[in-house]
Amino acid sequence: MNALLVLSIAGLAALFSGFSHNKKLAVIVSLLGLAVAFTVNVLDWNTAVRYYNDMIFVDNYAIAFTGVMALTMLLIVALFVDYKESVEVPNAEIFALLFFSLAGGVMLVSYSNLLMLFLGIEILSIPLYILAGSKRHTLTSNEAAIKYFLLGAFASAFLLFGIVLIYGVTASFHIETIAAYIKNANGQPPALLVAGMFMLIGGLGFKISAAPFHFWTPDVYQGSPTIVTTFMSTVVKTAGIAAFYRLFAYAFPAITAEWIPTISVLAALTMTVGNVTAVFQSSVKRMLAYSGIAHAGYLLIAFVSISSNPASSVLYYLIAYAVSTVCAFAVLMVIQHTTGSEEVDGFKGLSKRSPFLAFITTVAFISLAGIPPTAGFFAKFYLFSGAVKAGHLWLTIIAVLNSCIAIYYYFRVITAVYSEGTDSTPVELGTVQKAVMIITAVLAVALGLFPEMIISLL
Amino acid sequence: MGSASMIVLIISAIIFAVGGILVSKLLFKKHNSVVKGEAYECGVPTIGKSWVQFNVGYYLFALIFLIFDVELVFLYPWAVVAKSVGWLALVEIIIFMFILFVGFLYAHKKGALKWM
Amino acid sequence: MENISAQITQVAPLEHYILLSAVLFSLGVLGVLLRRNVIIMFMSIELMLNACNLLLAAFSAFHSSAAGQIFVFFIMIVAAAEVAVGLAIIVMIYRNIHSIDINELSKLKW
Repeated sequence: MNALLVLSIAGLAALFSGFSHNKKLAVIVSLLGLAVAFTVNVLDWNTAVRYYNDMIFVDNYAIAFTGVMALTMLLIVALFVDYKESVEVPNAEIFALLFFSLAGGVMLVSYSNLLMLFLGIEILSIPLYILAGSKRHTLTSNEAAIKYFLLGAFASAFLLFGIVLIYGVTASFHIETIAAYIKNANGQPPALLVAGMFMLIGGLGFKISAAPFHFWTPDVYQGSPTIVTTFMSTVVKTAGIAAFYRLFAYAFPAITAEWIPTISVLAALTMTVGNVTAVFQSSVKRMLAYSGIAHAGYLLIAFVSISSNPASSVLYYLIAYAVSTVCAFAVLMVIQHTTGSEEVDGFKGLSKRSPFLAFITTVAFISLAGIPPTAGFFAKFYLFSGAVKAGHLWLTIIAVLNSCIAIYYYFRVITAVYSEGTDSTPVELGTVQKAVMIITAVLAVALGLFPEMIISLL
Repeated sequence: MGSASMIVLIISAIIFAVGGILVSKLLFKKHNSVVKGEAYECGVPTIGKSWVQFNVGYYLFALIFLIFDVELVFLYPWAVVAKSVGWLALVEIIIFMFILFVGFLYAHKKGALKWM
Repeated sequence: MENISAQITQVAPLEHYILLSAVLFSLGVLGVLLRRNVIIMFMSIELMLNACNLLLAAFSAFHSSAAGQIFVFFIMIVAAAEVAVGLAIIVMIYRNIHSIDINELSKLKW
């Protein structure tokens, strides 16, 4: 809960630091705020306290995901130091909006009342609508903003109607009361409650861009400024998945028979659509958007083994994914700036222009593809083995086949990096930019070598 | 107050309203002129249509007003329980208003309240 | 609250409220899917939210619990915040393309 307070205050501080003449102040305030938020968050470890009349319940699950989101955002804010793409909004405002969005994310991972779920989703999304449109005079950015806004509001209305239906049946918004009600129903939940649950799946599925609710994702990811896209595909995805998982682990564990078939079909569909479409993309940014959809599909696999508590596998997967994605986007930002394009061809000849960048790119995409010894491989391994243990062999087979498709399109980028290019001017990198790349690449390998660090947490 | 007094009120209201119109019809002669038919009998004639786009400045004010206006809906449930909760309620609502004030302060500093 | 609950269910049974809200919600969904004017789509979303509000108030009275009505307040606030951001985005787009037809925005393929 302290993290929530620190994040809100840091957001305001970042907002007002924009009035200072010192242009670096906003970055410093933001980095400091995030570091403090992470520290006070970790200090709550193993306490499990309920705050605000049991509106939020800060257990280890909440603390772990809050920590991941805060650290990911720390890396993203650090990338802003050397960010070159024109964002026509002052940095201070961008940081403030990111902070508010993150505060919503924290509510999403720690809620114990459906009111907080709704508020968290809205607080997470509303700043993102603005951020998506932060290149005010660029039509693609405008289009991303309006699409994200209309579809986002549309999805939250569905989520809301689901919550209302569940309230109508159980007379409560508290997830544990709802779970108790369902338990008393002896496997015969009222139809209205099941309908409400499916509307919640729709609303939350939109937020994590699960197929068939994924149509907005590529457009919004491509149209937004790259740094905002990085935030959306890491922090927002983490919050969405964690909220989704928390809802089903706390509120609906007694009626798994009702939702596991739906979720597993959703998972299979999401990863297939994401991976197959990603193959045909020429823009790396758009390809990463589709790969983000595919990763959401893999993550949904965890839900089928929810009775054996796969929370730590989800956490590990999200960390591995966030680290590799930030790394990949950091490289993409440099390519965008130096070549002016986000196409795969822009990566050609990178090994000549900067061997360092070529190596970083390789690590990032290998980790995303899930090849040992990187974290991406073990993340997939834990998720898939959980599904096999729960007896969902067919889902695992589809997932493994999908991973093979994924290797194809990730390696297209890597082969481009090591092929001959026309341009051979060396690439200049900022110090902070370089540091972020090194940290993420090292983490992607280190987490793969020592997965127990995370797996034993929850 | 029975229904009788209501009926008396209604009847007297009708007499008062209709009577005024009738008296003026009976006592005064009709003068119809172009000037009298205009929308504004005083001031200058309007230029162009009155369906014009409003200045964007109004829109900005309207948005800011909307936010602060709607936030105040929280004061109603607060007022219901304020007495039973006691001093803590006052402190909490002051914190709430302070947060709103910070937002207002930001809008002011950005010049959103200046007429452009 | 019990008094109100009894009165409300006397006038109309709970099913009517559920039905009315479902119809309003579906009208909103259809509006978003079929109309191409951003403002109208936006209004349809508001209609969906208000259908939720109506149903929440009805359930709240039916269960004699105030939680639902408090939720309505929050929905109203969130809707206002969305309106502010949404209208700002629409104005931004109007300044760039002088239209608010969603079909004009097709720089990015769907």
